Amino acid sequence: MKGVFDKRRLIAWLLLVAITLLYPLIDHAADKNGTLTASTFLTVAAICLACVKLRVIFREFMEVRSAPALLCRITDLWVVLIASVLIATYLAGRAVA
Amino acid sequence: MTTTEMRLATEAAEPRRVPGQPDMWVFVLVEALIFTSYFCVYLFSRTQHEQAFLQSQSHLILWLGVLDTIVLLTSSWSVARCVQHSRAGRYREAKHAALLTTGLGLLFLVQKIFEWTALIHRGHTFTSSEFFQHFFFLTGMHCLHLLIGFFVLGLLYLQLADPRKRSQETVETCATYWHTVDFLWVLIFALLYVVR
Amino acid sequence: MTLTDWWDSPKRELWFVWYATIVFYSLYGFVFFVVTRTQPPGKPWLNPDEVVNWFAGRHDGLLIGFGLIFSLGGLSATAIALITYSIRRMSVSRAYAYSYLLLYGVSAVPGFLFICVAMTAGAMRPDRDPALQQWLYDLGFLSFAGTMGVFFIGSLIWMAAVLLDTNGVFPKWFGYLNLCNALTEVVTGAAWIFDRGAFAWNGAIVWWIDVAVWVPYTVVFIHLLRQVILRDDFGTGRLPELPPTEPVRRAREEALVP
Repeated sequence: MKGVFDKRRLIAWLLLVAITLLYPLIDHAADKNGTLTASTFLTVAAICLACVKLRVIFREFMEVRSAPALLCRITDLWVVLIASVLIATYLAGRAVA
Repeated sequence: MTTTEMRLATEAAEPRRVPGQPDMWVFVLVEALIFTSYFCVYLFSRTQHEQAFLQSQSHLILWLGVLDTIVLLTSSWSVARCVQHSRAGRYREAKHAALLTTGLGLLFLVQKIFEWTALIHRGHTFTSSEFFQHFFFLTGMHCLHLLIGFFVLGLLYLQLADPRKRSQETVETCATYWHTVDFLWVLIFALLYVVR
Repeated sequence: MTLTDWWDSPKRELWFVWYATIVFYSLYGFVFFVVTRTQPPGKPWLNPDEVVNWFAGRHDGLLIGFGLIFSLGGLSATAIALITYSIRRMSVSRAYAYSYLLLYGVSAVPGFLFICVAMTAGAMRPDRDPALQQWLYDLGFLSFAGTMGVFFIGSLIWMAAVLLDTNGVFPKWFGYLNLCNALTEVVTGAAWIFDRGAFAWNGAIVWWIDVAVWVPYTVVFIHLLRQVILRDDFGTGRLPELPPTEPVRRAREEALVP
């Protein structure tokens, strides 16, 4: 069983690192001629990716996967809440700017 | 039975439990909310002064942030391994994993100090622009959590080192705190270095 | 419980102090938010003439409201005394209780005395030099928002005591909540640097989020102090748990029926 847990954790780490390395990719895709420009797509993508990572950390590293269902649901709710609130704030801010 | 069936059967048979003190999760969830409120203030300010924020943000080096994130993710991985070893009674391996975690945390701290020093030398300080107000505030607050994290890791190491004092619950609770330091950075990195 | 029962109860003083705590915090909120309207705080960027108008608009409220605080502000000692008592009841060294008491013994100064003195002085002579009025305005708000050191360290002491305690006086999650509260108090020092934005004394981070955390935290600890008094057995060992409430008791009984 030790091997199974180790492997799962290693895969989780690889996934997290891979998502982290996605950031420079999407970052370059959004910028025009090296100057930074505002981008709703990039912002929303960045926040969503961060929340995906958050969920992986909760479930795999913090062992929420094997925790009681209540904690699973609360942490999932938290991930959704954080993503929604951040994206909503950004969009609302752009709307009133 | 195949390996997968055995694994699923074992997982189903094991009672579900919260690792460490369940109370620590109150800290995890409340702190996540408090930081989210700080992030909202930053994001809203950003949208009101788009060009100024973009201009300031261009002075950050994205790859430094990526490196910071990978270092902390690896430290989270190592502290999770530490918990597994400790649970199985492999205290020597657990101590090594704890030391690795601390080393990675220190590496992160050194990187951060290097980055702050470089920025300050170039004239970007807490008061030089609104973006950098938020940058230094968020990274500074995170660093404070990191410093508390070193104290927590010390506590974790003490649990592993002394057979008389060992408490698996304390080891796991300390690990939960460290993971919080990691996931807060994951969010901070995305918002400060990537978000436009 | 009849009045005589209450009077004869050995917990009489504890209850008196607990109710006094409620009275103090209610008075505090009412005076600052309603009577004097000094919270939410005035804007740091007002020029001297605008500050004079600010004082003029709150003249009677400032004098009456803070006059009340000057008379009854001593009630702030009740919460401190009760918390110190609860820390004494814990299994940890008495040093924690005494440190907390000493620290919070001076907490009234930044906690409300400075702002009360500065604002009543400002209200008292409306025709004073506007630059001096602005000075009093700055002193009042900066001393109120930017001096959280006492509360920060006090929260950490209480947190340490709760986490180390084996008598179960407070639940461990409250210890961690103390850390959350303490960390929001660290940020307030930024008010000395910025006169506008999120880090000014009226800013989203220094004031609004800080208060949004502190108010529920205060409600929680007042409730937990009540629990401590109900459970207190005047001993030194583990604090007994409260008997379960009627619905919980019934549910447990039903669970046992085959």
